[in-house]
Amino acid sequence: MTVPVLQLRAITRTFGTLTALDGVDLALDEGAFVALLGPAGAGKTTTLRIASGLETPDTGEVLINGEDATALAPKDRDVAMIFDSLALYPNKTGFENIANPLRIRGNSQDAISERVTEVAQTLKIGHILARKPRTMSGGERQRIALGRALVRDPAFFLLDEPLSSLDAKLRVELRAELRRLQRERGASFLYATPDYSEAMAVADSVVLIFDGQVRQVARPQVLYDRPADTRVARFVGAPEINLVEADYDPADGGRLLLGGLMTQASPAHHYLFNGTPHRFEAGFRPEQILIAPPGTEGANGKVLDSEPLGLKSAITVETSAGPLRASVPEHIGAQLGIGAPVTVSFDVEHSLCFDPQAGTLLER
Amino acid sequence: MNTRPLTPLLALILLVALVVTLFPIFWIVMTALKPPTDWNAAPAIWIPSEPTLINFLTLFDPEAIGAFGVGGISESATAAVFGSILTSTCATLISVGIGFFAAIGLSRYTRVNRFTPLFILSGRMFPPAAIAVPFVIIFSAIQLIDTYVGLIAIYVAITLPFATWMLKSFVDEVPREVEEAAMIDGQSRLMAHLTVTAPLIKGGLFATTLFIFILNWSEFLFALVLSYSNIETIPIRLAKYVTATAGTLFGVQAALAVLAMAPLIVAGFLIQKHLARGMTFGAVKR
Repeated sequence: MTVPVLQLRAITRTFGTLTALDGVDLALDEGAFVALLGPAGAGKTTTLRIASGLETPDTGEVLINGEDATALAPKDRDVAMIFDSLALYPNKTGFENIANPLRIRGNSQDAISERVTEVAQTLKIGHILARKPRTMSGGERQRIALGRALVRDPAFFLLDEPLSSLDAKLRVELRAELRRLQRERGASFLYATPDYSEAMAVADSVVLIFDGQVRQVARPQVLYDRPADTRVARFVGAPEINLVEADYDPADGGRLLLGGLMTQASPAHHYLFNGTPHRFEAGFRPEQILIAPPGTEGANGKVLDSEPLGLKSAITVETSAGPLRASVPEHIGAQLGIGAPVTVSFDVEHSLCFDPQAGTLLER
Repeated sequence: MNTRPLTPLLALILLVALVVTLFPIFWIVMTALKPPTDWNAAPAIWIPSEPTLINFLTLFDPEAIGAFGVGGISESATAAVFGSILTSTCATLISVGIGFFAAIGLSRYTRVNRFTPLFILSGRMFPPAAIAVPFVIIFSAIQLIDTYVGLIAIYVAITLPFATWMLKSFVDEVPREVEEAAMIDGQSRLMAHLTVTAPLIKGGLFATTLFIFILNWSEFLFALVLSYSNIETIPIRLAKYVTATAGTLFGVQAALAVLAMAPLIVAGFLIQKHLARGMTFGAVKR
């Protein structure tokens, strides 16, 4: 088994009375692209700063290539980092910004020019190397910051919401490019982002962090399909998952009472609850809420809101089980004006079951 | 910067301000160029009748003014000019040097500590006269009185709070991440501050240096009480042009005053371009 390039073990860090990190464990394997996903204030930046050596943990240890690096200064850790704020040197040209790590390491002028030119070519920024950061656009600065990290060949890269300030189109473009660069070089990336769709798009594996605690570590699709608890389920996916109070009754081949609406239970529920009555919280992704014309089988509802999203429309329907978010093809969404009567049914087969108190996912 | 059109009223106000500001300088320069007969003339003579450099020559050759029948000066101002340059330059460089590191310490390495910065400034809250005499006694005991080392030490002690506070405000404006980027790039903390922070607050360093230099250059009280015969500075020398035979030698005094002003005016012009803002623009997203 290979040793991870970066490993955090039981990291705790407090700032005054605020606990930023509470027992964080995390491993980054060589050549992996791991996303550190969490809402603002969850502890993503602190995690990266501890991994980089800019911050020291109160307790816990940082291992780099299997060796204890907890007390090492950033310069001795062989790490490259891209800051949330980019942190370019404002008084230096694009070239000098990228060349700086090489200069500090005493490379020859020739080697520096060659390497910087190479990186600039990959990032398509040859034409802005002579300029200072203040004359560059947001995307250009972003690429210079990338260049400054990629010009080296460190043990691992830390990226702190590197694309957060770019417009949507550029963000999608650059994240694909990042993914490509990472694959080509076999580099190890730890990538902090508050945006689950970004994490899904780029990462091999996602570490989900809430309130300074790691909540779930999984492949992106697993995070979506089998969220550890209701909080994860709500954070991952848009529109948000629908959580409905449910009662399972084994009578009559299995029945489900969903927020007052009676439906047929799936065999899955029977196995899960061992054929005994059970109360739980059912989770339905928007595509598992089925919309039909009024009069068909299901619960009656009324469209509250409709939001076209291109191929799909997100609609909210008022039912006796509360407002439900559904995802429907755009041409159907377009016909459903606000107030339109519809019938709602549930894709019970693919729904998720959560413990009503703890919120944890119930699985066989 | 917002500009507004120059109305006649505004022009008039500016003109008055200009005259009020520049008149003393004009007068002192004219007096420095006046022969002894013009110094005390009544009514006052604005433009010297026969412009002469004799006052300047007298500063360094006390006998020179004898040509105009005025005598009584026994000492040259050479020692005072040397003393001022030495003490002001050394004290300023030491003060700004220590102040730079103190500012970085306060700005970057103290966690929510409001006390230390104020404590540093507290030394400035004593009236100088209250601490001057104790310093005479202490410095006599440790044989620093009447020495340049002693005077430089006092000047550093007096100006360091200013240097620290001024530089702290400049360091505060440099985004912390830029220094951290240098540490990630492979530099130690010290080198990151020297190669990243220092160049980014270049304008602030120049401005602080000039400000501290002016304080040191014009300081009178401590120079007076801490000097006997070995050391002298320009402000002390300025007070000594009173003779038994000819009264106050206004022309010679004015000549020394002009010399004392010159370096400050030159430095002021040199520094102007460094005071421009916007040094850190483009470093981080705001």
